[in-house]
Amino acid sequence: MSIRDVLSPFTAWKNLFRDPVTIADPLNERPGAARYRGFHKNDMDKCIGCGTCETICQNGAIDMLPVSGVPAKLGDSGLRPRIDYGRCCWCALCVDVCMTGSLTMSNEYKWVESNPDLFRFTPGVDKKHWDNAELGYQRHAEKHLTPGERVEMPELEPAARIGSFTEIVDGYSIEQAKLEADRCVSCGLCIATCPAHMAIPDYIKAVRDGDYERGVQLLYETNPFSQVCGRVCTHRCEDSCAARHEGDPIAIRWLKRHIIDQVPQEKVLELIGKPAAPTGKKVAIIGAGPAGLTAAFDLARKGHAVTVFEAQAAAGGMTRYGIPEYRLPYDALDKDIAVITAMGVDIQYNQRVGTDIAMQQLQSDYDAVMLAIGLHQGRSTRIPGSDHPQVRKAVDLLRQITTGEKIEAPKSMVVIGGGNVAMDIARSMARLQLQQHGEIRVTLTALEDKAHFLADPVEIKESLEEQINILDSRGPQACVIDDSGKLLGLKTWKVLSIFDAERRFAPQYDESDEQIHEGEMVVEAIGQMADVSLLGNELTEKLEWNRGRIQIDSNGRTSENWLWSAGDCVKGPDVINAVADGHRVAISIDSVFTQQEAKS
Amino acid sequence: MSEASIERLKSKTTLKDILEVATEFERTARDFYAALAPKVQKNLRYLVQELAEEEQRHYDLFTQMAERDDLEQQLQTEVERPVNDHKFSDCIHLPDLGEQPDDQAVLQYALKREHAAMEQYHSLAQSTEPGAIHDLFLYLANEETKHKNELEKVYYETVHSGGV
Repeated sequence: MSIRDVLSPFTAWKNLFRDPVTIADPLNERPGAARYRGFHKNDMDKCIGCGTCETICQNGAIDMLPVSGVPAKLGDSGLRPRIDYGRCCWCALCVDVCMTGSLTMSNEYKWVESNPDLFRFTPGVDKKHWDNAELGYQRHAEKHLTPGERVEMPELEPAARIGSFTEIVDGYSIEQAKLEADRCVSCGLCIATCPAHMAIPDYIKAVRDGDYERGVQLLYETNPFSQVCGRVCTHRCEDSCAARHEGDPIAIRWLKRHIIDQVPQEKVLELIGKPAAPTGKKVAIIGAGPAGLTAAFDLARKGHAVTVFEAQAAAGGMTRYGIPEYRLPYDALDKDIAVITAMGVDIQYNQRVGTDIAMQQLQSDYDAVMLAIGLHQGRSTRIPGSDHPQVRKAVDLLRQITTGEKIEAPKSMVVIGGGNVAMDIARSMARLQLQQHGEIRVTLTALEDKAHFLADPVEIKESLEEQINILDSRGPQACVIDDSGKLLGLKTWKVLSIFDAERRFAPQYDESDEQIHEGEMVVEAIGQMADVSLLGNELTEKLEWNRGRIQIDSNGRTSENWLWSAGDCVKGPDVINAVADGHRVAISIDSVFTQQEAKS
Repeated sequence: MSEASIERLKSKTTLKDILEVATEFERTARDFYAALAPKVQKNLRYLVQELAEEEQRHYDLFTQMAERDDLEQQLQTEVERPVNDHKFSDCIHLPDLGEQPDDQAVLQYALKREHAAMEQYHSLAQSTEPGAIHDLFLYLANEETKHKNELEKVYYETVHSGGV
């Protein structure tokens, strides 16, 4: 060993007095760049638990899990993303796809733990030191992975449609439907909202794939009224659509209609297949509306013999006798009904139970009876003068229009009500006025102000386009009649408020703001009720009631074990709710039959 | 017009007299609803029974009030007859709702009664000096207002339901 070898290590000492080139405390003095993709943050007020982050994650680093204190509700699954930093690669796809912009990334990148399990955490729930970091990665405000605007539905212009009852909505073309379907992220929040729990993301996928036969099969798994619901469903599913947070909700209703429009009727029947072999059980259903016919469809598919007793000359209930043809053409409704009758369901038309056949007869002749009679009686305001012959109820007039009865349209008329039925009768009568008198003079008065109308916003918009004079916040006081007994119109007062501080109905009027609305006819469209007179006194007394409605259990069974009830008459008006109700009753009746079989 | 009716139309009255009319108001209503309940269809009976129970509750309240020793002297106090007194008294006369009135007819009648009672007690509260009787009328006015509000809610849910 030479002396050089001994001394050479000490040559490094010459660097002792140089300025250091390394960073003394790199962990605490190097903030990430302004848009660095660091640790995740989640705004709990904005997150809806749609799970698109979980779906898009290529590493399986995100799991949607329930969180204490975050309940599931309309449009919110109640789940929140838990991120596993053992898998995450910080690609930020989860942030880019987030439908509400709740998921972001801080510019923080340092996190020391001795327990590796802690690197699985739920941003926004598990408090972290970067939760309030202002910098970091966020989705670009204008660059969304999914288009925000809905593909516009082609429909007839007001001038072209007002002269007839021709259907207004044209339906999507295949190209339009695919574009609209492409916007869906398949989060499935809509499924929970739909009363029938239709497989919405799956049938939208079928549209994307152009596989309409698969689409029809999916529709019929939960709804035999796709023609109807594809046109007039209340589409509350769209209220919970994740896309609505930063754009238009997916046009779920129109896509449903698109599917059923693409497949010929014969093919639909082929896709559904034949019903099961006869079981020997007989079911009577009163009322051929959506609830009754849905139950009939399900029960017939199980092999039970179903007879439906319908008081009118055609089936459909309120969907036929309450919804104008420009919204729901009769041939579309007939297609749905034809599929149901093709399953062997026997509909006895013009058979009014209670008059033509007694309930007791049905009880003795059938193994189960279902009551689905809808809400076919109109309510009256009973204001002074409302008993005048020219004061009519909307449901009666709509029924007359459907049956083709000749209606002498008045030259001027007033409608009382702000719901869909009020809009329907106003628009129907406007068409008749135009045909018979060449001009439209319809005034619609509603208690509510325009921001709180009960009608669908589209109905209001289209009514205005069709020259309906809509007056909001008007409370009906009297029908004005002259000395000769002629109806002159409706007297109203300005409504100051409808509800009190506790949202109870307590209308307050400004009596000084009185108006007389000219009308040779006044039509009341304020509410409807079921005609339960068919039950007769004896059965009415036997049955248990729940505040005016027949009491049913969660399966739709009444207190009489042979009788079930469903649809509008027990749950209130809505087609898709009636369909869901029909399914429930069918399952319950079939289950009772199965138990009876097992016992015998 | 009978002597009693003429007496009722005098501008001045005593609190005792008012209380008697009010008690009668509640009693007749209770009896009316109780008699009506078995006549209406079972699906509407809950409504009539609830009304009868509510009137019974008020009747009990008034009866107990009339028996209170501490109020005896004050009940002799003369007060201005409320402007709405005739409406209130009118409501003691029972209507003919027919053999089987429907829910709307029953509710409209009940609402009219509650409204008259509410106005009556409000007026009485305003025309009495602060004290036990004043507080009592305020309480009664509040009771009738609450009942009227509840009935209006039921009316809206019953009549303005369906098809909207």
